[in-house]
Amino acid sequence: MYSAVIRFLLLLFVSGYASAHELTPTYPELRPSYMNDILEAKLKMWNARVDVEYYKIEVTDEDWNDVPFITTEKVFRLNYLGRKDISIFLPSDTSARYICTRSMLEKGNAQKSIISSKVCSKIK
Amino acid sequence: MLKVVVPMAASILATEFVMAQTEIVGNVDSKCIIISETPGVYGNPNPYQLTTATTDGGVQPIIRYDVLAADYYKAVIEHPIAFSSAPTLDDVVTWTGDVEVSEMSDTNMADYDTNKVEYDNAHEYEMTVAGSTWFKISSAADYGYTKSFPAGTYTAIVEAECIPL
Repeated sequence: MYSAVIRFLLLLFVSGYASAHELTPTYPELRPSYMNDILEAKLKMWNARVDVEYYKIEVTDEDWNDVPFITTEKVFRLNYLGRKDISIFLPSDTSARYICTRSMLEKGNAQKSIISSKVCSKIK
Repeated sequence: MLKVVVPMAASILATEFVMAQTEIVGNVDSKCIIISETPGVYGNPNPYQLTTATTDGGVQPIIRYDVLAADYYKAVIEHPIAFSSAPTLDDVVTWTGDVEVSEMSDTNMADYDTNKVEYDNAHEYEMTVAGSTWFKISSAADYGYTKSFPAGTYTAIVEAECIPL
């Protein structure tokens, strides 16, 4: 068990996250916000994709239908190796289940990357 | 002189003690990281065909998933079924593609390909083992009935998703 964990950690260090996209926590909690009947989920995003600078936030229900939400920027710029705290505000009767960030590929830079990544968190 | 030296020495020592107590804190949490390792290139072995096959001059895109805890995530990878940018095309493009595990950090991941669920152009893997998994995507586009692709740049996008279970 330990050897597997050590091998995995070694792999992470050696590989150095050349081009990664991460969203945490896996299971965010909805907590009351400073506004009445509005809940808030807090997430952290990390961009280690050197080929991507823009990300889009998507909030969906169990069946992947879009759900209304409020955040400061639905499409935001995040530089390489940048971290961002994301607050999502939802009505108290929301059916939201998944909060996702999707990499946005620039049309002019299409040659640079043909891989679009989407990482989701599931609301508890 | 001594009145100046003693307080200075004391302050340096005090600073060193403070520095010695600096901590680095890290949390190991369940999380999924998608790493785009190789972007991929289409080769053009025939005028009517674009393919990522290495034997035809292409490069297969490789995506790595790092999962820090088992049974928390599923990976969904979709091979392309349309160009995201291309010259104007007036005939049908026939798409084929596949996704398969190319490398793994744990031998228990060996059955990922056997257990994957396929629908449309999506390949769904349950990440039942913690560690890194490399997925290799193949894609080919045939134009019309052996019709030549117009000259220009063609781009298609591979979608890689990580969804909590």
